[in-house]
Amino acid sequence: MLSFAVGQALQIVAQCVGLVVSLMVIPPITVGTIRKIKARLQNRIGAPLFQPFFDLRKLSMKGETVSKETSWLFRATAVINLSIMLLLACLVPWLSFTPAVFGCDLFLIIYLFALSRFFTVLSALDSGSAFSGFGASREVTLALLVEPAIVLCLASLGVAFHSSDLCTVFSFTNTAPVPWILWFLAGSGLFLTSLIELSRMPVDDPTTHLELTMVHEAMILENSGTNLALIEYTHFLKLAVLLGLSTQCILHALMTRGIADELVRGVASLVGIGILALTIAVIESTAVKMRWSKVPEFIAYPVAISLLCMLIAVLRWTK
Amino acid sequence: MNLSPRIVPLDSLPRELKSAVQPHGEWRLGLLTSLDGSQLITLLLQPVTGEIQLWESPIEGNRYHSLTDFGIPQAHWFERGLADLFGLFPEGHPRLKHLLMHDQYPVNFHPLRKTPLSPEENPFSTRRFPFLEVSGEGVFELPVGPIHAGVIEPGHFRFSCFGETILNLEIMLGWVHRGVEKRMTEVPWQRARFVAEAAAGDTVIANALAHSIVVESLLEVEVPRRAQLVRTIALELERLAMHIIDVGGLATDIGLLGIAASMSRLRGKALGMGERLTGTRFMKAFVQPGGVRKADEAALSFIGKGVQELRKDVPPAIDMLFGVQAARERMSVGKVSHSLAVEFGFVGILGRGSGVEYDARTVFPHGAYPQLAPKPVIEQNGDIRSRGKIRAGEISSSLDVIAAALDELTDGPICADLPRNLPADKFSCAIVEAFRGELIHLACTDKNGAFHRYAIKDPSFNNWTAISIAIRNNLIADFPLCNKSMSLSYSGNDL
Repeated sequence: MLSFAVGQALQIVAQCVGLVVSLMVIPPITVGTIRKIKARLQNRIGAPLFQPFFDLRKLSMKGETVSKETSWLFRATAVINLSIMLLLACLVPWLSFTPAVFGCDLFLIIYLFALSRFFTVLSALDSGSAFSGFGASREVTLALLVEPAIVLCLASLGVAFHSSDLCTVFSFTNTAPVPWILWFLAGSGLFLTSLIELSRMPVDDPTTHLELTMVHEAMILENSGTNLALIEYTHFLKLAVLLGLSTQCILHALMTRGIADELVRGVASLVGIGILALTIAVIESTAVKMRWSKVPEFIAYPVAISLLCMLIAVLRWTK
Repeated sequence: MNLSPRIVPLDSLPRELKSAVQPHGEWRLGLLTSLDGSQLITLLLQPVTGEIQLWESPIEGNRYHSLTDFGIPQAHWFERGLADLFGLFPEGHPRLKHLLMHDQYPVNFHPLRKTPLSPEENPFSTRRFPFLEVSGEGVFELPVGPIHAGVIEPGHFRFSCFGETILNLEIMLGWVHRGVEKRMTEVPWQRARFVAEAAAGDTVIANALAHSIVVESLLEVEVPRRAQLVRTIALELERLAMHIIDVGGLATDIGLLGIAASMSRLRGKALGMGERLTGTRFMKAFVQPGGVRKADEAALSFIGKGVQELRKDVPPAIDMLFGVQAARERMSVGKVSHSLAVEFGFVGILGRGSGVEYDARTVFPHGAYPQLAPKPVIEQNGDIRSRGKIRAGEISSSLDVIAAALDELTDGPICADLPRNLPADKFSCAIVEAFRGELIHLACTDKNGAFHRYAIKDPSFNNWTAISIAIRNNLIADFPLCNKSMSLSYSGNDL
């Protein structure tokens, strides 16, 4: 009995350590992978896979320049957003193992994402720069269009499971209530919305140096040094979490039976994130950055997919 | 070529100039400048027959009635330059602002004027640059630059926006004003070519060639045929390299990074050919009065091979760019209409993109032109895509010209001997088709045979107005692409 309890405690400790290591290692490597694949697709050798780590280290060693016009909010935002994103990374089942003991309500998740955006926008406005201002305006416009898609994708799964707890939904043990097509649609809907959320092509170009075309980058133009390092890391983490969540949906679609072995699940999740990173790199190498006025047409795809998800879920509910 | 000025009294200048440049561009205004602040010098070009006229209009005092105000928009920027450099005040100019001189200069400082103005005569009471203010609810101003992201030159853009739409764009240049024209008259004429080459760092051969033609025609020296052909090859290599990277720039801004990467590799190849020929990638100190510095057989056959490779490698990448549907859509904005292009006298890619059939290579002799001149590439739409298409067309015609020049090359001297002194009191000008368009050098010597005045008109000087016209009522996010499609030079304008 005692040895069983010790074993269980050890397992929880191992899971916690695993999660912390994942949080530190996976996000930068995912970004490094995307950049590396993009470079290879352009026939360039590209920066090393670990370049994002080096960048973060370089930024954190640099001095910081803060405009006199800003208030406390400008510097606090980086820390606030990092905390929110770490909390999200611990709550959301983006890897197949989560030691979180409390459930993660899908509406909590959505509001945490919104809270983080709220602070980013406030800090951009606080900096007083014209670029940050219109970056913020673009971000809010996009958020307005994209948010329904995320809500509906996740909520449709919740409807199918009769639960708003994402840990119950993504448990791998019981995929029965949901047909594979719903998992698949929700996964692709989430993936498309994450492209927009993460300011990737075709909506925003993460490699651009042109202030006038930026969305996310325009908002953080005034940040520097450690502050920028935190913002960058937060962004990496957001990328990993959102890609991880899409991966989980797709994995559930592929596995009609529940899988008990956590190791297999974990490896499959990591491979899934890698494949999505590859997809992003391919999209960014071949797609054209859209005219700003055409962006709503692109956003219509994830919104339509999410509506379809909801339709399927509701029809099954009423049956 | 040597010119002798015709005296046109200041009173009849507006009437004569207006009847020359209208209706619809019989003649174009090549240059409007002054020698020392006591006259107006007008250079008129006939873009079909290649005639050139030089008018001189003496001025009493420092005021004259603005030519822009008589309905000659081509004079707009020239008059701003005259006011800054010579203190000549155009009365009735619709939007007189500083062009080159910013507020770190004293208010009564006119660098090219020989006799100083008294403070009462000075046209400007301040160095302030009053931007056009657009007001109304929801309209905001967006200042961009002068320092930009990326390694480009400085220029300040003031956008007046309503949401994402640009209502007005005002451009403030002059940040890299170095006094090139004044310096040209200060150094011994044998060394002036190094100053001329530095007028715009990416237009080295065109500037060196224009300068050489000016000096050669003053000295009445015949340039050997072999040197003429090698100069043509160098000029086309410059055009090739710059057009390739400018098309690549369109791909970068659209987000087609693979094509952009290929284009920068190919541009490296073109620059490499230039390096093999001249010793430096941007071909500095190569073209000189009398001929060229060297013309190595091995380098020329290397270029021959390089041309074959580029013929094979460039078209697929360009076709891919113009074939992508979404890219076509991105490139369908930034229109410059034909009538405005004629009225403002836009040159080069911009003019030809709007259907103006003017290529200095077909009209004015320089290098092995006009014999070897390719047929001008003309597009009618005036949008970003038209300008891209023209670059693509000129890349292939440049390759043809290089091949033809290489075929024609025979042995012979590559540089003529030059007399030691320039003749006194003479005018000479040269018109060269640089990769951006028509480049003009005009020189006037004094009684000692030194340069009394040396004027350079970079193609960008005509074309900067176009960007404000093209971007009006378009989205802010389309500005970088539109800007790239014109690829204007800051230093060439600021001199």
